[in-house]
Amino acid sequence: MGAEVITVSTDTKFVHLAWQRDEKLLEKVKYPMGSDPTGKLSRMFGVYDENTGLDLRGTFIISPDGKLLNSEVNYYNMGRNIDELMRKFKANLHLAKHTNEGCPAKWKEEGDKTLAPSAKMVGKVYEALK
Amino acid sequence: MSEFLRVGDNVPDFKVETFEPSKGDFGEISLSTFKADKKWTILFFYPADFTFV
Repeated sequence: MGAEVITVSTDTKFVHLAWQRDEKLLEKVKYPMGSDPTGKLSRMFGVYDENTGLDLRGTFIISPDGKLLNSEVNYYNMGRNIDELMRKFKANLHLAKHTNEGCPAKWKEEGDKTLAPSAKMVGKVYEALK
Repeated sequence: MSEFLRVGDNVPDFKVETFEPSKGDFGEISLSTFKADKKWTILFFYPADFTFV
């Protein structure tokens, strides 16, 4: 997919190994499983829950030059949707190449209409998207 | 920088120990390595192993 995906929890790498080995659902998962038992990295991204010592469900996209571009945090009870993540990631790739454009709400993939903000467009976004 | 990172911030370098299923072995990853390789990084935090993600 063109990005390094790292899964992170506060479990140790030993627990990661045991889980990956035992859970059949994870047989095909190839992403490095990061271990943050001290919560240092998790605190940096604001997903560390001081009461439980566990991480909230946070997803963060970082550009190749190290800038944080997207941040999404769900409460414990909501799983994440890979299509939502892929849309954001694809939009980032597009915007990195087309720095004067913006991806509107309905942008889904390469080829969909983007916007190039200008004085002409003020109050005319509806027409620009048609 | 505020208490924690916000969108638009430059992410300070970080390192974490990993288990790498593709190698069946332990390892370590760092943001500086990904930056040097011009790679995008997606961090996916979840509460705990042995639960649903």
